[in-house]
Amino acid sequence: MYSVTFKDHLAHPRNVGEIPDATVVAEETNPICGDRLRLSLKINDGNIETAKYLAYGCPPTLVAGSMLTQMIIGMSVEDALAITRSELIESVGGLPSRKHHAASLALEALATALRMSDKL
Amino acid sequence: MNAKRQVYLDYSATTPVDERVAAIMLRCLTETFGNPSSVHGYGQQARAAVDRARRNVAALVGARQNEIVFVSGGTEANNLAIRGVAEASPGHGRHIVTSEIEHPSVRGVCDSLQKKGWEVTRLPVYENGIVRIEDVRAAIRPDTVLISVMLANNEIGTIQPIREIAALVREHRDAGQRTLWLHTDAVQAAGRLQINVEELGCDLLSLSGHKLYAPKGVGALYIRRGVRLAPHNVGGHQERERRGGTENVPGIVAFGEAARLALEEFEQRIAHTHKLRDYFEAEVLNRIDDVVLNGDREHRLPHLSNISFRFIEGEGLLINLDLQGVAVSTGSACSSGTLEPSPVIRALGRDDELARGSIRFSFGKDNTQADVDYVVEVLADAVARLRELSPLNKKLVMSDML
Repeated sequence: MYSVTFKDHLAHPRNVGEIPDATVVAEETNPICGDRLRLSLKINDGNIETAKYLAYGCPPTLVAGSMLTQMIIGMSVEDALAITRSELIESVGGLPSRKHHAASLALEALATALRMSDKL
Repeated sequence: MNAKRQVYLDYSATTPVDERVAAIMLRCLTETFGNPSSVHGYGQQARAAVDRARRNVAALVGARQNEIVFVSGGTEANNLAIRGVAEASPGHGRHIVTSEIEHPSVRGVCDSLQKKGWEVTRLPVYENGIVRIEDVRAAIRPDTVLISVMLANNEIGTIQPIREIAALVREHRDAGQRTLWLHTDAVQAAGRLQINVEELGCDLLSLSGHKLYAPKGVGALYIRRGVRLAPHNVGGHQERERRGGTENVPGIVAFGEAARLALEEFEQRIAHTHKLRDYFEAEVLNRIDDVVLNGDREHRLPHLSNISFRFIEGEGLLINLDLQGVAVSTGSACSSGTLEPSPVIRALGRDDELARGSIRFSFGKDNTQADVDYVVEVLADAVARLRELSPLNKKLVMSDML
């Protein structure tokens, strides 16, 4: 059902935790299923220096956060905002359609965090 | 730690076929292959094999041989019992009493009858996961034709007061309500509890082969003599016209042998799984904080443990355990962005977080203490890892900056 990449991220999630001196922290919740994803970012000069995440929910939510943080570290804010749901799903080796909401939740948390950083 | 070890702790979902059962089934596939309805020798041999199996299954639940009808499994047994009684009762009433924690096969039939105009009362179970006899008493009406309450629950293993419910049913019958019947789903209980239909006092009882080391595709319904039941498979005289269709002889023979072994080895199997389950729970409570055991601690099946782990979600834990070779199950499901926390755990009054974080560990005759030690080790590790990842037990620092 799930890819090798997916299982690897589930067993060994990357960038877990919170950044003590984060530029922004954003948390999004899926109001229907209760899945939660909290993203903290350290942004410097328009670039994402560090990203960490916490998540509660089904395995795709846990994995989407892990993969997303791995993708955005070192990226410019502009490029990070351009990541699509399909790209994130593809990068974890695919997700069943009924689990696509997990990727959306991770991207919503990212969009919220980046919007917040823009206002700082 | 050997990451390649495989531990199956999902015996309530299904069991492997016992090698002794498989050997008898194999002989039946190639040698006793006749159609039991045929009059020649091949047919009569198959008939004799089915009769032997029927005796063994009847003995497992203390029934008479002619009160056992072979079907395809627990779901069919439950469908036949509930629909069968409902359809045979026109004019007598259109009310059914059941519980909030029935298996989906019972829930589904009741829901479907409700859509056709039947009234269904679903009994609550409270925190211990057991229906209260006073609620059953209050639920029975003059037009009630069936009470369907499981003997033991499939997710939390709680044992329901069937004997007491049967006494209530008898009171109503004695008072003139002659067409009130009691059905119990004993799919999880068979082979794990001593069952005697006379002592229980039920009128219908469902069984499944694959929960007691027989293959999938075979089950049975006990129908007490005198119960009126409308058949569903018609067009054949098999099973005394209660279930038409050529018998699944290899499956039935396997089920019979599995039932015989379940009875013969009952004491040792129960002592073994009970000991493992209790050891497992003690180790979990010792090693892992913030866990909640679900269901009554006393009145429950001896092989099963249902535990909610706070701050984490069951499916993530299940897959993490699977990656370490440990097979368990969860009653919750998350799909298309909608949460379906276990209805059984919710019925205990638990919140969504606990209902989502529940895992069923069910032990079998082939598990060992070394299996349990391994599972506790990987479980403690997986729970710690998922909790480190969870925001539920950590305060949000900058949540409302927007």
